[in-house]
Parts: sequence; C-alpha cells; structure tokens
Amino acid sequence: MKKNYLISTFIFLFCTLPIFTNSVTAKVYVDIDSPTFQQIPIAICDFGNQTTSTTKAADFGMTVSDDVKKDLSMTGIFNILNKKSFLENNPPGNAATRENIRFSDWAAIGADYLLRGNITQNNKEIIVESRLFDVTRGEILFNKKYRSDINKLKALSRAIASDILLALTNDEGDFSTKIAFVSKKGSKSDIYAINYDGSELKNITNHQSIIIAPRWSPDGNFLAFTSFKSGRPEVYIRNFKNGTEKKVASFEGLNLCGSFSPDGKKLLLTLSKEGNEELYILEIETLKLKRLTNNYSIDVSPAWSPDGKRIAFVSNRSGSPQIYIMDADGNNVKRITYDGKYNTSPSWSPHGGRIAYEGLINDKYQIFSVDENGNNPLQLTFDIANNESPSWSPSGRQIVYVSQKNSKSKICIMNSNGLSPRVLIENSYKSVMPTWSPRFK
Amino acid sequence: MKKNLTFIGIFVVLIFGLTIFSGCAEKKSVVTSNSAQEQDAASAQTAAKTTETSNLSNATNPNDVTSTNNRAQSASVETTATPEDSVRDINFDFDSSIIRPDAREILKVNADFLLKNRISSIVIEGHCDERGTAEYNMALGQRRAQETKKYLVNLGIKESTIRTISYGEERPLDPGNTEEAWAKNRRAHFLIAR
Repeated sequence: MKKNYLISTFIFLFCTLPIFTNSVTAKVYVDIDSPTFQQIPIAICDFGNQTTSTTKAADFGMTVSDDVKKDLSMTGIFNILNKKSFLENNPPGNAATRENIRFSDWAAIGADYLLRGNITQNNKEIIVESRLFDVTRGEILFNKKYRSDINKLKALSRAIASDILLALTNDEGDFSTKIAFVSKKGSKSDIYAINYDGSELKNITNHQSIIIAPRWSPDGNFLAFTSFKSGRPEVYIRNFKNGTEKKVASFEGLNLCGSFSPDGKKLLLTLSKEGNEELYILEIETLKLKRLTNNYSIDVSPAWSPDGKRIAFVSNRSGSPQIYIMDADGNNVKRITYDGKYNTSPSWSPHGGRIAYEGLINDKYQIFSVDENGNNPLQLTFDIANNESPSWSPSGRQIVYVSQKNSKSKICIMNSNGLSPRVLIENSYKSVMPTWSPRFK
Repeated sequence: MKKNLTFIGIFVVLIFGLTIFSGCAEKKSVVTSNSAQEQDAASAQTAAKTTETSNLSNATNPNDVTSTNNRAQSASVETTATPEDSVRDINFDFDSSIIRPDAREILKVNADFLLKNRISSIVIEGHCDERGTAEYNMALGQRRAQETKKYLVNLGIKESTIRTISYGEERPLDPGNTEEAWAKNRRAHFLIAR
C-alpha cells in the first residue's frame, strides 16, 4: 500500500515538476510569424520631463517617444495608436507606476501594450526611465534606465525600441543592419548600402561598370560581388576594414558570385570554365575550388542554409528554372518548387525552415516563400509590379525586395508574411538586387 | 483505499498531462495549391508560346537586312574586336538557349564569312531580355554564347579562336518593354578581330 502511494506521488511530482519550472522560465511571446498575425497595438505616451532646473528643454520627452514610435513602426509588426485617442493623458510628475494606471482605459482604446517613461536632463546627459506594461494582464514587463549624451538621443530611442521588441518577441530586431543593393545609372552600376532606417546612403564600389549579385559575409566585414570592371564578369571581395578589394575568381567565361558559408571561410560561385554553368565552393584563403554540380543545364544562385549543411540553388534541369536543395557536398539533390515555370533567387531564412524566392505568376514576378522541404508554398506579394530578389532580415521577420514597374524600380521591405510593405529607397536611378546585412555590433 | 489513492494519483497526472498538450500553441499555415498537373499545364503553355514567337520572328527575319547589328553595341572584351556587318546577330526564344532554325541559317552565312576572311579571333556575346532574374539571365546569356560557339565550331570554325562572354540582361539593344523589344534583346552578337 505504502509502496503504491509512494509511486503515485512520485509520478505526480515528476510530471508536475516541468510545469512549475516552465511557468517560471518560459515566457509567452507574441507569435508574429503566424500567417494570421495581426499588428501589435501599442500606446506610447510622451515621456514626462522631470528636469527641475530652469534649463529644462521641454520637448526632449516628445523627441524620444516620437523616435521610439518611428523605430517600432519600421519593424512592421506594431500598430502605434494615435495619442489623440488616449483617454488618460500623461500625468505630470513621476512616470506612472502600475498602481496608478487604469488599464481598463487603455484596453478600451484597443491597446495591448503601453509604454510610459520620464526623462531627466543633467547638463549634457539625458537619463530616461521607461516602463513597458502589458495592458491585458495589468503587469509591468520591464522598467529600465537609459543614459545618453544629449546629442545621441536617436541611439537611446533605438535601444528602447529594441528592448520592447525583445520583451514582446524574444528578438532584438533589425535596427543595427544595412541593406546593400545595386544602383544603375544608364549602363553603369555600383553597389550602395543604406541603413535599415533609410539613413546614410553610401556608394561602396565606385566601379561604374556592370555589377551584380552583392553578398555580405556573415560578420558584415566583407562584401562579395560580380563586376565587369575589367571588361568581363569576375568575382571580387571587398574588405570594409581596410577598404581594399580582391579579385577571387576570374576564370574563362562566367564568374558569378554565390553566397558566403556561415563560417565566412568559403564562397559559393557559378563558373562556366568547364563549358556548363556549374556550382563551386571557393575556399577564400587558399582560393581552392571544389565542384559541386555536374549536370548539363544551368545551375546558378546558390545560397547556403544557416547551419551550413545544405545549399539551395536554381537549376533548369527540368526544362524551366526551379529551386533545388542539396547537401553541402553536392549530394541528395531535391527539387522544392513545382508551381509555375519560373522560380528563382532563393534566399534562406536566417533561422532556417523557409526559403523565399521569386516566381512567375500571371505574367508577373512575385515573391513567395516555401518550407525547405517544399511544403506550404505561400505567395507574399500580389500587386501589379514585378517583385523580385527577396533577402531576409537577420531577425527573419522581414524581407527586402525590389519592386519594378514601368522601367522604374524601388527597394521595399515587408514582413516575412507579406504584410506591411514600405519603401526603403526610391530615386531616379534603378535600384535592384537588395541584400540584407547581418547585425552590426 | 490504497487503490483509490493510486487512481487519484493517475488521474491527477492525466489532467496535468492534458493541460500540457492543450497549452501548446496550434500551428496554422496557409497552403497554396501544389499540384503536378499545374506544372504540366504550364510547360504545355510554354511550348505553345515558343512556337508562336518563333513563327513571328521567322516571318520578320529573312529579308530583314537592317537586322540588329548596325546599332550601338556594348563595350567589347577585346578592344580590337569590332562588330561586322556581314556577321549578323541570332535571336533566341524566352528562357531558351536552343539555336532556332532561322538562327541556323544565319550562322551558316556567318560561318562562311568567317572562313573566307582572315579572322584572328571572334567574341560571342550572349544577351537576354529584361524579364526574369539578373543572375539567372547572366547564366542564360553565357549558355546562349556557348551554344552559338558550339554551332560555329561544328561548321568548321576553330574553337581556339572563339571566346564567349555573357552580358545577361544588362545591355539591351532596345530599351523598350514590349514583346518586340524583348525578342530583339534575346541575342548572340559577334565581334570580329582580323
């Protein structure tokens, strides 16, 4: 009897233990990758200014909260509620603590989350205290202090936005990233890079030639690409640290840049030196080549999986360009796209799992994504433009692509489920082939 | 009594087990159609289109002496090689590097010219229309140049005198975005050095 009793108690404890430990460690995050995801409604109050001295600059609180709003809306996953709809205005004095917030007032205007904060100026230093609340649960999610130079408020606001993202989605977002792309002026092209927020547009190559296929190294210190600078397509690697450029492939025929391996030591290439367009792995330091494909067809646009074990690429071996996946040694080739007669430009999501690509549907190129085993293809863009060249953000939550209509092209960013598209850059030049950088520290 | 306790224990365990499972978020996904039939239909369509376009170009090409090669061309890989009026461009179907019947005729004429004249080297440029992926088109242009080279070699041109280069979709002859412009832009172009 005693034995039975003990056993059942033991089983009971054993099974309930993980539940209790879970309730302590596991946080519930908003599943923003779900196809049914709706934008997170958040109310952001103007930060109250606590500065007591007479030199107090009254609008700093608003500057910070406005920048946080801008940063958050860039992520595409927030619905920033209009402050005119707020029932409760920011009370003067201390930033509200949990006790004196009427959560029902915030729930009534549709807010799921609430950000409040206050700001203190101490000569050249700004101290911001910000608090994020879960409106539905009536809980505080974080209470953090930030210090910054008065001239670096943008970085401070970005840190707050990043913390909000981390608290709600368990990911710091894409704030510290860049997008490289090819800008065409007539017959001359160059690679430019621009910050994620659309600031600091810079010419990287200055080749004034045909340039295609820019690819970042995983640490962001190098950029590989194909340039016709010396009259024919050759592969170069640019080193951002010392500003030098090195030619790494100039074989007979086509030398087309593929992608860096996750460890940054190898580069995938398409070469036609043996007659056919085949895929190769180039060891960057030794320039040693290893051939991967052996097929009488075009094999092009190789992309390494984030774990380095597999490679996605385009081949027309079935009669039309389609996306295939193989092991990193060239074995186990499997076709993963079957809809339509033109599927190209594979880009692997940074956490694995999905591959974005462009496909021809109703005479237009549109962005799609598909499971890496070929299941669940999903069309992401539907407008009347040609949408091409998808590239994932490091968070895996956004995709940058080029949208072309009537010989004009602009670079756009959308959520990885296709929602909330926004224009990153649109000017009188043709901007094409965007590629998202890793996070910069 | 003992039994009861055991049952209660098992019951509690079961309840907790259930809560764990029901707690798991349900994964939803949207699936678009993924049928092999659709693909067949698509390839049938391509075939239909291919014949259509080749008929069209056959109709316009034969007596068209002012074809494409008099117009401004892209920079050559070898500065000494220049376009030559007697050596005409050949055109291709969309997403294809197959040498069409009309192109074979042109290549025969081209080969005759090349064999009769003292030619030191030939550069074959492969070009594509603006549709589709720049990278894939770079490979397709290379393939067009390569297939053209093979054809000329079969007609007796020395392989070592021929070099190939792809410009992909980067150097269109006609910047328009009409079927007519695209048909002109899908081409192999020849540069000759004597």
